[in-house]
Amino acid sequence: MGAPDRIKQLAPMATGLFCVVLALPVVADMKSLDDSTLANISGQSGLSVELDLGLTADRLSYVDDGSSIHLDGFRIGSAVDPSGQAFHLIRIDVEEDASLNLDYLVKDRRIEFGDIRLAGAPGVSMGGIFFDHSLEGYLNIRQGSSVGGAGYTFDSAYTMTGGRLGYRTNGNEVFLDDITMNVEALGVTLDVVGDTLALNAPRITGDWEVGAIRYSSNPLNHGVSVDSGNGQPLPSYGSLSGSYELSSSTSLTAGGRSGEGLRIDNETVIHSASFLYRDDGKALALRDITGVYRINDLRLDVATDWQNRPALALPLGSMDGEFSIGAIEVGGNGKSIGQVNVSFLLEDQVFNGRSYSNAIYLQGGGHPDAGPQGLRLATEWSLRLADFSYTEDGNRVIFSGLQSWGQGDVTVNVTRDGVTNDTEFFDGLRIGFEDIRAGYRINGLRVGSDDAPLQGGTELLLALGFYPAYEFELDGHVTLGAGGASGEGITINSDVSIRNGKAAIIAVPYDEGNGEIPQKGLWITELDYDAHVRDMTVDVSQEGLAVIKGESWSTMDIGNLRIGDKESGQSFGRFVIQKYETGSSMTVVPGGAGDVCAGGMGDSPSACAASGGVWEPRGEEGLTVRLKQVLAKAINEARKNSLTWETNRQSSGVGEAMNGTGTSLVLNDIHTSDGGDFDGDGVDDNSFGLRTDLSVDVYQTRVVKKEDGPDAMGVTGNRGDEKIMDGSSTAGYRYVSNPTLAEADNRPLGFAVKARSRFKELSINNIDLVHPVGGAQTAVYGVKMQNFDIKANLTATPIP
Amino acid sequence: MKSFLRRTILALPVFLFSLPSLAELARLGDEALSHISGQGGIYLSGDISINEMGGPVENSYFGRCDDADKKCGARFAYRLKEDGGWVVLDDIRGNFAFEGLTLRVRKVDSGFGGDGELFNRDVLELGLPNTVRFNDVQFKISSSSTARPTDPGFQQTDIFSVDMRGDVVMEGNLLVFPAGNP
Repeated sequence: MGAPDRIKQLAPMATGLFCVVLALPVVADMKSLDDSTLANISGQSGLSVELDLGLTADRLSYVDDGSSIHLDGFRIGSAVDPSGQAFHLIRIDVEEDASLNLDYLVKDRRIEFGDIRLAGAPGVSMGGIFFDHSLEGYLNIRQGSSVGGAGYTFDSAYTMTGGRLGYRTNGNEVFLDDITMNVEALGVTLDVVGDTLALNAPRITGDWEVGAIRYSSNPLNHGVSVDSGNGQPLPSYGSLSGSYELSSSTSLTAGGRSGEGLRIDNETVIHSASFLYRDDGKALALRDITGVYRINDLRLDVATDWQNRPALALPLGSMDGEFSIGAIEVGGNGKSIGQVNVSFLLEDQVFNGRSYSNAIYLQGGGHPDAGPQGLRLATEWSLRLADFSYTEDGNRVIFSGLQSWGQGDVTVNVTRDGVTNDTEFFDGLRIGFEDIRAGYRINGLRVGSDDAPLQGGTELLLALGFYPAYEFELDGHVTLGAGGASGEGITINSDVSIRNGKAAIIAVPYDEGNGEIPQKGLWITELDYDAHVRDMTVDVSQEGLAVIKGESWSTMDIGNLRIGDKESGQSFGRFVIQKYETGSSMTVVPGGAGDVCAGGMGDSPSACAASGGVWEPRGEEGLTVRLKQVLAKAINEARKNSLTWETNRQSSGVGEAMNGTGTSLVLNDIHTSDGGDFDGDGVDDNSFGLRTDLSVDVYQTRVVKKEDGPDAMGVTGNRGDEKIMDGSSTAGYRYVSNPTLAEADNRPLGFAVKARSRFKELSINNIDLVHPVGGAQTAVYGVKMQNFDIKANLTATPIP
Repeated sequence: MKSFLRRTILALPVFLFSLPSLAELARLGDEALSHISGQGGIYLSGDISINEMGGPVENSYFGRCDDADKKCGARFAYRLKEDGGWVVLDDIRGNFAFEGLTLRVRKVDSGFGGDGELFNRDVLELGLPNTVRFNDVQFKISSSSTARPTDPGFQQTDIFSVDMRGDVVMEGNLLVFPAGNP
């Protein structure tokens, strides 16, 4: 881009135009120009403005009904020199059609806020944000819009290079580094319709890449890729990239939820998109993304939250949408897990007799011991309904009727290793949870189609810690550190505490089609759960997604195991499960069980059939989770593996069973071993652990009628007949005594889980009977199980 | 009520293992099945096998199943005295296959000759498959001087062996519910 006419006297005008560009970064998008494009620009009598811009302001304030939010330490200038200026070159032309064209070049610009504060919240702030970039592109503005009249139409495109977007609290930073972006938005219109500003972008296309996501704990570093102390590149969580084609319409209306403010309504259609996370070159890829979402009545206010704390409030009327991810690939060989579809509705709803809505109240401070800077999101949510479906090899399972609700504070800090006021912090981005009271539930699974009957099946995923319903009070944190087991990746440290939890191991639907009913099931209630994880690394490996735990320990104190209603169901007693693991791991691998002989034995279709089994080629897609749990020998009462069952407890004055007053059965110091001391260090080796491989598929299975006569749907058959799906039948299926091959092809689909658990040695040091007065008596002086390899092929279908 | 409980107690070792004393078990007739509240639940088809080809340990005692000199099954040992010998279930292996094992939570509030109405409780129902195919299910009951067969001084006496194969009829429902003071 040449610059023949440099009229520095017009700097104020150029600044104003620059501000237009700055103020409309999403609506007015820009693209790079080449020389041939410039050669075709008509209206050669335009102006060129060259500007070295350095702009600072101590404070920018936004006032809403007397409440204000302050952006402190505002600066625009050089990204590489804190006291330098950013170079701008803008060429202004009036085209033959009377449109205004701005071609621009911006080099190494940084826009930053040192801090963000809310009036009325002294001593705390949200922290700083910085945005570095070089831009080259154009913006064309012409009169006339989609509805005619006084509106405007914009064409814009730009290329951004050398981008950085960072968040800084208390001298620590997390930032997206080396951002490259190409964006084109043509035919964007801006209209005033009544009292609403209407923006319509019929087509926005782009691609983007983030070279690294970096972390710095050195206060001397600010927006740099290399540590100023040791000269080494700052550690990275990995890199990102993606592309998209969208269309979007947005309405902006004055007025907050009360008084002044802003109302935003939006509908966005994702025509296509992709998202890739790379860890040392190996990708987790979401491809062929399509979808739509609608935001209805999102408000922006400076207001107070439910505890009367000043905040930037974002209350939401409702939001609904639907997304489809055509392929989820993970690992070095690009294999796909399958497809995912999600539909959702965020809307006010009553859960457990309390009304929930959707709102985020942004506040300063974060965790009080992490320093004055940080982010606090006082949050309330109400997911009224969502369906999540997973499709592999053309077969679909739907986690139907997902609902979630909750309220509480989420804090965000960038922290470094250390202990302050008895709070332990770790290097990384700390997501904290304070007094979150929340829950979720699903109505059940549907296999095959949306109108398939509800069924269970999540029971088969309990080994993964999946509960079909859960209510809890949550405190704690998860800190995401940069760098994995090697190179890029994520290191997680976390301490989580759950109080008054109620989780379903088995749950019947909360709505069978006739309105909400109390959800019955097998519940763990009065649950207190403390879990701690140290140095858990998450990496994309050649095989899949690898999670390796350094050390983890937890105590799950289940006050009651109830059957029926979660509040009033009768109890089996109290269970306390302590876990202590070192070197455990989990690997998520694309691909399911592959070829399976279900109900028989054999490595070939003929051998399988001869043993009475059914040969099931379950295809290429699917999901396999490989767990390795190394149960460590006890090192103290807090870090050991044990199971306690307590019954016959005394009742309190309000009729609640008092823990510790009953008799207990204790399985103490449960641990794995390799079966001997093979490395000669004086203690038994313990590296094999308890290994469980879970493969999940959706596949057909044999369903056999158990009784003569009609079933629950009124379909008649004889005991031993097979259920065969038949669309011409009223109920969608019929019973057949001896299915033909063609009929066998229409066996019902089920949620198929193939599990294999192995361990070399699993020991229980002692089993005690404990009386509250008489103390402990050892009943069993040791249990030792060796050489177990247990396989289970189980396919879950609805009960006929 | 008491007569109902007396009539319906059914002992199944696997559940006795996990719920030793409080979990009471019951067989239901067809009439009870017509009063189920709450759908959902699961119908399971498939198979479970133990050490089909052998376990993960390969040493002087354990090996693959095609090695006639080694044991390829699993081993379970416990002792009731601090310095005593070990009771052992050794060389455990086999395969079970079935269709129609059901699992659900349901309320029993009718049937059983009127006892169900008095009972009026939620139960965990394990619906037994009519037929379970046993394929070379085997184990040995033994006594041993050491927990591990590779420990020094290991001596073991096999008391008897069990080998099961063929179809086993398992009909009815197993009901699990709490009783007594939790």
